[in-house]
Amino acid sequence: MSASVKAAIKQGLFTALALSLVTTFVSPLFAGALTTDVTTAKGNETGSDNILGGTPTRVTWEAVVDEGEQVVGVDVVYPQGSSFSDESSIKVTVLDGTTRMNPENTASLDAATTTAKVNFSEPLQSGLRLRLEMYKVSLPNVDGAVSLNGTYKLADGTVKDLGASPSIEVTYASVAEGISNWLDQQPFVQAWNSVTFLRLFFQPQLIVSSIPTVATGWLISLGLVLVGFPLAIPLGLIAAFMKISKARILHILAAIYTGVVRGTPLFLQIYIAFFGLPLLGININQYVLSILVLAFNSGAYLCEIFRAGIQSIPKGQFEASRSLGMSGTQTMFSVIIPQTVRRVIPTMTSEFILLYKDTSLLAAVGVMELMLYSRSIVSLTGNMTPYIVAACFYLIVTLPLIRVVGNLEKRLALADNGGGAPKKKRKGRRDAFSQMREEISSTTETIEAAEQKVAEVQVETAAAMAGDASVAIDTNAAAARAQERHEATPTDTDERGDAS
Amino acid sequence: MTNGDASMGNTRTIVSLDNIEKSFGDNVVLKDISLKVAKGEVVSIIGSSGGGKSTLLRCATLLETFERGSLAYGDMIVARKEPDGRAVYLGKDILKQARLKFGLVFQNFNLFPHRTVLQNVMDAPIRVQKRDKGEVEKEAHELLSKFGLGGKENMVPCELSGGQQQRVAIARALCMNPEILYFDEPTSALDPELTQDVLKIIRDLAKEHMTMVIVTHEMTFARDVSDRIVFIDKGVIVEEGSPEQVIDNPQHERTRSFLRKIYD
Ligand SMILES: Nc1ncnc2c1ncn2[C@@H]1O[C@H](COP(=O)(O)OP(=O)(O)O)[C@@H](O)[C@H]1O
Ligand SMILES: [Mg+2]
Repeated sequence: MSASVKAAIKQGLFTALALSLVTTFVSPLFAGALTTDVTTAKGNETGSDNILGGTPTRVTWEAVVDEGEQVVGVDVVYPQGSSFSDESSIKVTVLDGTTRMNPENTASLDAATTTAKVNFSEPLQSGLRLRLEMYKVSLPNVDGAVSLNGTYKLADGTVKDLGASPSIEVTYASVAEGISNWLDQQPFVQAWNSVTFLRLFFQPQLIVSSIPTVATGWLISLGLVLVGFPLAIPLGLIAAFMKISKARILHILAAIYTGVVRGTPLFLQIYIAFFGLPLLGININQYVLSILVLAFNSGAYLCEIFRAGIQSIPKGQFEASRSLGMSGTQTMFSVIIPQTVRRVIPTMTSEFILLYKDTSLLAAVGVMELMLYSRSIVSLTGNMTPYIVAACFYLIVTLPLIRVVGNLEKRLALADNGGGAPKKKRKGRRDAFSQMREEISSTTETIEAAEQKVAEVQVETAAAMAGDASVAIDTNAAAARAQERHEATPTDTDERGDAS
Repeated sequence: MTNGDASMGNTRTIVSLDNIEKSFGDNVVLKDISLKVAKGEVVSIIGSSGGGKSTLLRCATLLETFERGSLAYGDMIVARKEPDGRAVYLGKDILKQARLKFGLVFQNFNLFPHRTVLQNVMDAPIRVQKRDKGEVEKEAHELLSKFGLGGKENMVPCELSGGQQQRVAIARALCMNPEILYFDEPTSALDPELTQDVLKIIRDLAKEHMTMVIVTHEMTFARDVSDRIVFIDKGVIVEEGSPEQVIDNPQHERTRSFLRKIYD
């Protein structure tokens, strides 16, 4: 992958994908002063604002030999932080007006001192223009102007300082870009990339250079769910209380809410919210709206989780509490809810995982989140690697949480079976799914919803791993939800609409 | 709790159930049951499974409502009997006060699993009776150590054996200082070796003249501890009297056949 693409990723994406192809290779300007007093610096080709520091680039340096001077050698010294590699090279051109001369010379790049050395066997006569083109040399990785210095030698043996050259604007290259550039040079990377599959799905340079961008999307997705989910909790609680309340009307309202939300795809809900509200003249910031839609959706699922949780508390708990004289409210808040919380935490965690993955659906309406950030690099590079990076960013959140759910389930099962506090014994490494399945089946008293949810996570994750939504063909409602959500995953065709 | 004054002639009635009738749908579970328990008295209820013993306790402890008859705790009428026999429950306030008169110990303990042993015992006196925390804590510690649970105050129920859990449940009920304690098969969920620990506590309470109604299948225990035995079968009180009368010398064929089954 070329540095130009990297630069494009860095720049283009942050300005909402405005594509500006930066051409570092053919860009630099540059020059220095040479001889006694008259020196000329001339920029090479069209300059660009984006000369990445620490990135191999082409530098051109020119100077004119002054009247009466006879130059036999030039040392052009690069500033501290520059570097030459094995692939760096130098080309010497001497011009008399527009005529190319070919004086005998030795030119070399000294990597240790980052100095370009040129010596001529015949002194250069005054009026000649000396041009040095240095390929694949890296300027210091800084933000700002750098210039070249050095010395030159006259035929009589005197050595003089070159004046400072006109400066080159260098842009700081991030660590990722730096590593990516370094990888570009590595033979093993080139070998790796010679395999089409690996190049298209696991290209090392693209992995590295897309991480910062995808991470930005990851933070946004995480932010959306971290704000949305806590909002869904009170919503779900209120709906759960309405659902178990004896007041018919409250029950019906809650049933409509949960029925409609759970019975329709989140994808559709997102479309209605993002395209419907503006039609009504209601314009909400798209991130705020995202959070509201996620919370509204998740609230319905949490409602069922809480309701099932409350109803899973044995009747004896209500009776014991009532026989001790506690009122209905006291029973609810000091006996039932605390126990419910313990029971629903695993299921809630599963719901959190689902909601986190579902933030990807927001890509369809142009909300810049993990999915869309990675997609934008994909469309820029035509390479699948950023999607693989995105998958990793989903997994670094979901896999640990899936594990947490498993452990919580185990704990709950032990507590329910009266087996005492869980001992710290590990049954060795098993993969998360089989572990969960085992724990679930051993959880005799675990609420039905918990099992459903976990089954759902399994199915969904399995489907995600297989990269095939059709894995989710189980007929139970949970699996159906997983599938429904999968079907709603945006395709690569542009369906972002105008919301952005 | 105050020591009973059985010696003074069992004058005061703690609870009286009159002509109770209770059905679940078409299934009439209690038929014209009347039972009075005097202060300091220990009454054991025996009978085969499904006879309505638990339902009777649940009616007395307001966990179920009955359709006909009346219920009173001392002078406090909880459910009044209309001239046509229908039961009419009084207001919430009365029910709330009535709940403070009794304690109930369940077959499967029903301790609060999310609370420690000490919290299980202390919660209700503090929350419901609004008693001083320090005083309640002192009483709770006393009860627990009396029941051989000293040092287990900060454990959670699932860390205890069944017998220990049931003893905590008894302490929890007693810490409310009830006038009467109901037990619904307190040892049925326990292994035989743990049964005796619990029964011993109930025996001790009987010696202290705690008023108690105990549903049990432990005949030896019932005979030792009870002032009166009530045999219930198919929702009716078939026979009642002293342990000698009912257990050693039953008059009714149904009682005899039940006892025969128990002793076999
Ligand atoms: N909640 C209920 N709903 C319907 N029937 C019940 C309920 N509780 C108890 N019963 C019925 O009432 C009868 C008496 O039960 P119960 O009082 O538990 O008997 P016992 O405690 O003597 O074994 C049984 O036939 C039982 O099926
Ligand atoms: Mg029973």
